[in-house]
Amino acid sequence: MIKVVVSAGLIISLSGCLGTLGQMRDAILNPNPEVEMQVPRVNRAAIEQADLAAVLVLSPTIGLGTVGVAIQMRDGRIIYNSNENRGVTLEGGLIYATLGLGTNLQAVTTQSNDPLVTEARAGEWPAEVTRTYYIAQRGTEFAQITATCRNQVGRSLAIDVAEATRQVVEVVEICTTEAGEDFNNVHYLDADTGRIWRTSQWTGPEQTNIQVDVIEQFDPDA
Amino acid sequence: MSLKPHGIAFSFVLSSLLASGVAAEGIGGLSQAIDTPRAASGVADDFAILFDFREDYRALSLGLQPSDWLEIGISFPTYDDDAGSSSGNELSFGLRLLKEGTYSPGLTVGIVGFGSDDRGSGEYVLASKTFGAFSASAGMGWGRYALAVPQDRGVDDGIIRTDHLFEGDAEPFANIVWDTGLNGLVAAAEYSGVAGAEADETFAASLSYEVLEGLTVTGLVNNQGDAGLRLTFAANPARSLVQENIGRGPHPYVENTPARANRPQPNAQQVLTLLNERLEKEDINISRFAMEGDAIDVTASSSTDVVFARIAGRVARVLSAIAPANITTFRVTQNTGAFDSNVIVLDRAGLDQAVGAPNAAALAWDATSFEASPRNRPEGLIAPSFEPRFTYGLAPSFRADFITSDTLELTGTLNANARYTFSPQTFVSASVGYRFLNQWTQEDPPAEPQPRSDFTSYAPDIAFLQSLSVRHRFRITPELYSRVSAGLFERAYGGVSGEVIWRDPEQNFALGLEATYVQKRAYEGWFGFEDADASTLIGSLYANLGTNGNFVILDAGQHLADDFAVGLTVGRNYRNGWRIAASTTWSEEETAPLKFGAEIAIPLSWTSAEGGIGATNLFVGGQSGDFGSRVSGTGLLYDELRASDKRRIEDGFGEFWN
Repeated sequence: MIKVVVSAGLIISLSGCLGTLGQMRDAILNPNPEVEMQVPRVNRAAIEQADLAAVLVLSPTIGLGTVGVAIQMRDGRIIYNSNENRGVTLEGGLIYATLGLGTNLQAVTTQSNDPLVTEARAGEWPAEVTRTYYIAQRGTEFAQITATCRNQVGRSLAIDVAEATRQVVEVVEICTTEAGEDFNNVHYLDADTGRIWRTSQWTGPEQTNIQVDVIEQFDPDA
Repeated sequence: MSLKPHGIAFSFVLSSLLASGVAAEGIGGLSQAIDTPRAASGVADDFAILFDFREDYRALSLGLQPSDWLEIGISFPTYDDDAGSSSGNELSFGLRLLKEGTYSPGLTVGIVGFGSDDRGSGEYVLASKTFGAFSASAGMGWGRYALAVPQDRGVDDGIIRTDHLFEGDAEPFANIVWDTGLNGLVAAAEYSGVAGAEADETFAASLSYEVLEGLTVTGLVNNQGDAGLRLTFAANPARSLVQENIGRGPHPYVENTPARANRPQPNAQQVLTLLNERLEKEDINISRFAMEGDAIDVTASSSTDVVFARIAGRVARVLSAIAPANITTFRVTQNTGAFDSNVIVLDRAGLDQAVGAPNAAALAWDATSFEASPRNRPEGLIAPSFEPRFTYGLAPSFRADFITSDTLELTGTLNANARYTFSPQTFVSASVGYRFLNQWTQEDPPAEPQPRSDFTSYAPDIAFLQSLSVRHRFRITPELYSRVSAGLFERAYGGVSGEVIWRDPEQNFALGLEATYVQKRAYEGWFGFEDADASTLIGSLYANLGTNGNFVILDAGQHLADDFAVGLTVGRNYRNGWRIAASTTWSEEETAPLKFGAEIAIPLSWTSAEGGIGATNLFVGGQSGDFGSRVSGTGLLYDELRASDKRRIEDGFGEFWN
């Protein structure tokens, strides 16, 4: 909630000024400086040697990080799982589901041209994207939260992702749910292909944003 | 036996060593600023326990919110004045007629002390508006909100009146509450037209501080020379105090593709070994395993997880990955201790279709059916084993009496409990109590034993035998559960008791019948009896309604005073183990119109750092009246079986995949 308030306040006060996206980004990626983040060490050499698709998953809200490797593909989505069975399901660059990271995200449905799913380059994103988030509640029906996101393209830069340098373009999504709640996503897209290297996405009102760093991309032909 | 009309007693029992905090939202259990009402602005499932203490007024109140627009309060106040003390019980309702809009105010109407002639009864209508951190309310009040001591309201010769509602003298009131934003500090000020000892109008101010999450201490003062303290414990069991599922995640689900059939298939022993190995990491224990034909049959339990749907889901996840391809059904049995109470039958192909879908829980529910556990099951690779064992422990309990005491006088008892369990179905147990705190006025034993109203005569200041009984539970048919008990069931009664419950796991109701013959226990000594006996025959309907854990229990039959009485309990179970219930009893011998009781069960994981699936129980109301009372301590079977009700499983099915 603090993060949402901070982010919303920043949006209002900064009036979409591109020069201030950095502050917004920092508020999203570092929502609670009081939570100590336990980030596991990534053995990139071992991952590359084993030819595994892998991601580093961070939940800043609860201070938990884990490394997941691709274990299944289901309906075109890649399921990444860690040794302690925490993980995410990615549909392209969209966090479709989470497990073991708090109050889990069960699923996300989105429009067919969602640039996170199609992995579109930064300048080719549609003006708005609408997604529906499914969260467990009492009974057999999941709660549904629908949000519409506008995006702003930020700077081009080089970032370090698990000891590898990636040339990326920053994109910030400013999202509002049907109930009027605000949240933001931050993505770092490959400057050439539009694939996600790092993303922080909202995954529900309790779990809030989860950050995923792509250590090794999934290659369907590998 | 000569019998007294019932009264209301309050018992506050902590079955663990940990207090959960006690306090209040306002008089009568409804939302209040200080003494004047404010908007009913809570949300569904909010509840509060409050304790008010002032020089001339003490009250314990419960506030429950069944929906966003309705508040229900149950309050047990004691008033002191120059004429002495008076006590009562109040049932109150607050109804939000209009939700506050951006520019429009909210509108709330309330009735306090409905059906009682207590001086605390009153009615109000108010408008409210929030301005940032300030919320303001203003309205008109009748009864207690217009007069210091309203009279002749609510009841006339035992008949509930309604013609006094919103009638008679009325006075305005207004209040403002400011959430300072400073470490849970909230300030309030109010005005009311009620005249008091010092002035014709009353002005009051208060300051509240949230000591712990949910526990608030309020100090208040007014211009009539009154000052007081209020403790409030507020929570919403539908919301977690802590984030859920931060432990180990569930095992990945693996669909049963045709390709798997072409691979080497594991045998039963290999499946069992892998199943145990993987579920142990998730604190799930497998006590029975059988793999026959196209089904795997397991009995699963967890010492930490109260949501059995999630346990079943986690078992299914592991089985999906390790079971041979020809297995089409996972049968997960739930055991309550004495009974295998349910078999949850999961269709593997249905789960394959459900996993990962946006409606995965609904699809998984469609793939689920329920069966009664057969009395005799085929031998499995492992079967539940049991070693007779002796267990013991200490537990304190506290009771306060609102009938015989004019002040909130407490008793505190330390109970030493011991149990020898011969088998999962049979045990003998004993409890010895010692009253380390006794503020009750002790009464001599009456000339004739009374069913309940003589309870203050059972108060030795030495160790006493609270109970000593043997209990055996067994099933007559897969759907027919039974119990026999004998011994000293409670401080006042000993005898024999038998019970039968019919319960079909696919149905949302069960029927029970309990027959008991008891002798009144001696007021002194451990094993003696008085020359008085009683028998009860009580039929019960246990029904689960809707999909939100709502339940109703209807009891009817011959009670301890040889009276025919009907009891109604209405409550709600929460998927995280909380249970909140309120009850009322009508007896053919009653002279007063209503008798209330309430129960709150809070999982230990909410009050204990160690967690667990047990519960801390708070009971309000109950056993003080002679009429409409039954023997306690016989071991009603539904208390064991309720966690297995189909609706309870369905209620937690949103977390099947978690």
